[in-house]
Amino acid sequence: MAETSHQQLFDLWKKQVEDGTQQWLKMMGQGAPAAPAAPAWDPQAFWKPFMDQGIAAWSKVMTQGTPSPDLMGQWKQFLDQWIAAWSKVLEQAMGTEGFAQALGKQLEGFLAAAGPAKKAAEQQQEAALAGLGMASSRQVTGVARQIVQLEEKVEALEDKLDRVLRRLENR
Amino acid sequence: MKDELFTMMGEMPAMSPELLARMREEANRNLLRMKHFGEMVMNPKEPKVGPTPRQEIFRTNKSRLWRYESRRTIRTPLLFVPNLGISRPYIFDLMPKGSFIEHMTQQGFDFYLVDWGVFGEEDNGLTVEDAVTKILPRLARKALESSGASEMSVLGYCMGAPLSASFVATHPEFPLKNYINMAGPIDFAHVGLFGKWLAPAVFDVDKYVDTLGSIPAEMVKMGFKLLKPTMDVSTNLNLWWNLWNPDYVSGFNALNKWANEYVAFPGEFFRQWVKEFYQQNRLVRGELALAGRPVDLRRITCPVLAVGAREDNIAPPGCVKPLLEAVGSTDREYVELPGGHISLIAGRGASIHCWPKVASWLQARS
Repeated sequence: MAETSHQQLFDLWKKQVEDGTQQWLKMMGQGAPAAPAAPAWDPQAFWKPFMDQGIAAWSKVMTQGTPSPDLMGQWKQFLDQWIAAWSKVLEQAMGTEGFAQALGKQLEGFLAAAGPAKKAAEQQQEAALAGLGMASSRQVTGVARQIVQLEEKVEALEDKLDRVLRRLENR
Repeated sequence: MKDELFTMMGEMPAMSPELLARMREEANRNLLRMKHFGEMVMNPKEPKVGPTPRQEIFRTNKSRLWRYESRRTIRTPLLFVPNLGISRPYIFDLMPKGSFIEHMTQQGFDFYLVDWGVFGEEDNGLTVEDAVTKILPRLARKALESSGASEMSVLGYCMGAPLSASFVATHPEFPLKNYINMAGPIDFAHVGLFGKWLAPAVFDVDKYVDTLGSIPAEMVKMGFKLLKPTMDVSTNLNLWWNLWNPDYVSGFNALNKWANEYVAFPGEFFRQWVKEFYQQNRLVRGELALAGRPVDLRRITCPVLAVGAREDNIAPPGCVKPLLEAVGSTDREYVELPGGHISLIAGRGASIHCWPKVASWLQARS
C-alpha cells in the first residue's frame, strides 16, 4: 500500500517536472513549439500547480492507512527526488542559448561596473600609500614579479648545468 | 472541552511496536543532531586534512612537488597532475580511509603529487604554455630523479589531464610508462554547460583578463555554483539527515572546507585556457602548439586508461573518452564509473569503484 502510494507520488512528480521543463524552455524561447501568441508569464500560475499537487499528494500519504515506520526516510527520499527534479529542470534551462546569452550580458554588465571601480580603488589606494611614503601595491607586485623571473632564470641555469653534467657523466 | 478535542482529532492510527521503535530512534537521532549542530555553530573545529605523511621534493615559485610515504613495492612511480587554479589538491588526501593518495600508497605506489599552488597578482603573466613546457617538465624530472626509477606513469585529473597530456606529447624524452586521464576534458566540443557559457559569441575572455588581471576566486566559485544551483540545498539537506552520525559530520567538515576554498586563475593562463581549449578545441584537433612544439597526442604510445564519471557535469564522459581515439597507443581502455566530477575520486563511492580500478590497471602495467 505504502509502496503504491509512493510510486504514484513519484509518477506525479515526474509529470510535474516534465511540465516544469516545458515551461522553463518556453521561457528561454526554446523547446517544444509554443502556442501562438503565448500569454504573459505569470509566476504565481506557474508555481501553483506544483505546490497544490505536492501538498495534495502528501496529504494523501499522511492520511491514508497506517503510518509507515520509515516516514522520515520517505520524506527524505521525496525531498531528494524534488531536488534532483529541479536540478534537471535548471540544467536544461541553463543549457539553452538564451541562458548563455543572458549570462554573458550579465557578466558584461558586471565588467562594465567592476572595471572603473577597480581602477578608482587602485588609484585611491596608491595615492594613500604614496602619502604615507609607502610602496604601492603595483610596486610590490612588480618586485614580486621580478623575483619570480629571477627564480625562473636561476632554474633555467640549473637545468642547463644538469644537462652539461649528464653529458660529461655519459662520456 | 477535553472530549470535544478528542472528537475533533478523530481516530488515531494504530501504532505498531516497529513504528514506536523507529520513533524512539528518530528522537535519539534528533538529540544527536541538535548536539552536533550546536558544536558546529558554537565550537567549530578546523578539520584536519592531508593525513598521509609526505615530503616536499621540489619547489618552484608557488608550485611544489610532494612525495608520499609508501612501501614502494611497485616499480614504476606515479605522478599525479591535478587542475591548476579552481581548488586545492588536498581533496585527493582528504582524511584517513577517505583518501585516494592513501589508497595508492597502501597499494605500494611511489606517489608524487603536483601542487600548482595559489598564484598571486605577480603570476598573472603565467600561461598554459609556461605550465606545460616549464613547470611540469621540471617537476616530472625531479620526481623521476627522486624515485630513482627509469620510467614513470602519469595520471592527469580534471584540467590536469589536458595539461599533462600536452606535456607528455611534447616531451618524447620523458620516459612515460602509462598514462591515465581521469575526468579530464580532451574534446571540448562535448564539454557541457561550461562549453556553452564560454563560447566566443557570449564570452569575451580578452575583456575579462584585460579588466580584472586575474580571475578571482569568488568568480571561479560563482561559475561552479551556477553549474549545479541545487548543490547547496542537497548538501545541507544531507547534512541535516546525517547530522546524528559523528563520522559523517567529520567527513562533511573536511569536504566543506575544501569545497569553499576556491583558487584564482592567473589571467594569461585563463585567457589561453579558454581560447585555445574551450573556444577553439585545438588539443583534440591537433592544432595546439606550445613553445613552438606541436601537441600531437598520437605521440602518446604507452598504455592509456581514460576514466569518465557518469554524472560529471564539468567534464562529461563525452569529452573524456575521445582521448582514446587521439592517442597512438594500442593498449587503451575506457571505463565509465558512477559518480560526479568529485565523487569519482573522493568519497565512499570512489573507494569502491575508482581507486581499485585505477590501482589494478596500473599494477598490471607497472
